[in-house]
Amino acid sequence: MPGPNFETVVADYYEPLYRFAISLTRSEAEACDLAQQTFYMWAKKGHQLRDPSKAKSWLFTTLHRAFLETRRTLTRFPQAELTETEDELPVILPEAAARLDALQAVEALGRVSELYRAPVALFYLEDCSYQEIADMLEVPIGTVKSRMARGLAELKLVFAGKHRARPQTGGQG
Amino acid sequence: MTLEEAKQILALFRPGTADEKDAAFQEARQLAQSQPDLARWLQEHCESYLTLRRKLRSVPVPPGLKEQILAERKIRRGFFENYWVPWLAAAAAVVLLVGIGFWSRSPHRVNAEHAAYRKRVTEAALRGYNMELTTRDPAQVRRFLKTKNAPADYTLPSKLQSAELVGCAVLRWQGAPVSMICFRSGRPLPPGDQSDLWFFVTYRNAVPHAPSPGATVLARVNKATTASWSDEQKNYLLAAVGDEAFLEKYLR
Repeated sequence: MPGPNFETVVADYYEPLYRFAISLTRSEAEACDLAQQTFYMWAKKGHQLRDPSKAKSWLFTTLHRAFLETRRTLTRFPQAELTETEDELPVILPEAAARLDALQAVEALGRVSELYRAPVALFYLEDCSYQEIADMLEVPIGTVKSRMARGLAELKLVFAGKHRARPQTGGQG
Repeated sequence: MTLEEAKQILALFRPGTADEKDAAFQEARQLAQSQPDLARWLQEHCESYLTLRRKLRSVPVPPGLKEQILAERKIRRGFFENYWVPWLAAAAAVVLLVGIGFWSRSPHRVNAEHAAYRKRVTEAALRGYNMELTTRDPAQVRRFLKTKNAPADYTLPSKLQSAELVGCAVLRWQGAPVSMICFRSGRPLPPGDQSDLWFFVTYRNAVPHAPSPGATVLARVNKATTASWSDEQKNYLLAAVGDEAFLEKYLR
């Protein structure tokens, strides 16, 4: 069975992929690059996918891998203490969330540790099942859930102004 | 199920999704119906989830991104996937052989692969980017780029050294690192902009069909003028907001 054509795949997924990418990077230019690189890989290898219904999962996995590749020189991911997340199960106050605009929401998400950021981004951006998210991120479902819980706990601290931001470098050119 | 266990489960609950049919979530939500504190907690969780979801899904996508993705595909398909018409390739090879002497010396040689690279990096600079290091110290820039595995042993055009160094960042082109060194010409800049001159360096094998050593290619990308050249190991690209005459002030 022939797979979906390139134009259709781009039309269906370039927006969600870009939003996932900017949630990971906080940089429009980097997010555009990641989205373009993902479709470049799709153009080269997408035809090898036997099940066309897996196109979305394939694209998100590829983008996430490309993101990790760009970060490969960083030291290992920071680990939050589990006790912190156990004590403070996340409830982000609705009024705090309502105060943000879209880009401020991305900025807040960008302050979550890198390891937890992708699961949290998919938690909000995509209505996938947890198994689908696990497939996209190539980790077991239990790991997805624990990373998500820790990431949401960090996000709560960001909203409360207690979470230490990642080192910030430079600004917009 | 205790209240704490229910909270731990419900912390990952997403209203309006398949989670509503999940047995574990259903059990925890049932418990919330008889526990006012848990019910209030769940209501806040759902409200903030829906608010943040709406906001993150409304992040604007840059205009032209879709067209650029499609355009790059056309460039590749046009150049690399027509292997089924070998006679066309043979004819092109003949034309290339005849014209190569002139072509390789032409200052305005155009190549699709390199054009896509030029468009991508220049538009990234024009759109706005995350300046990863802000400094006026050229040595610090080189050290930083080296730690990022990006080209750091580049040769700056001597005239470009008269411009004020602002900082640098690392972009990527098909997985390969691209050093972006940012300068300021001294002209007034629009609010929020830090630079109007960008020097890009990538390894020569990262962009096939880049200008041959000794040739300089000038091209427009939106409101910028670009000049591309290369040496044995690297491709260089200088982009500036302005016309050819302005760019020439920083070449050589």
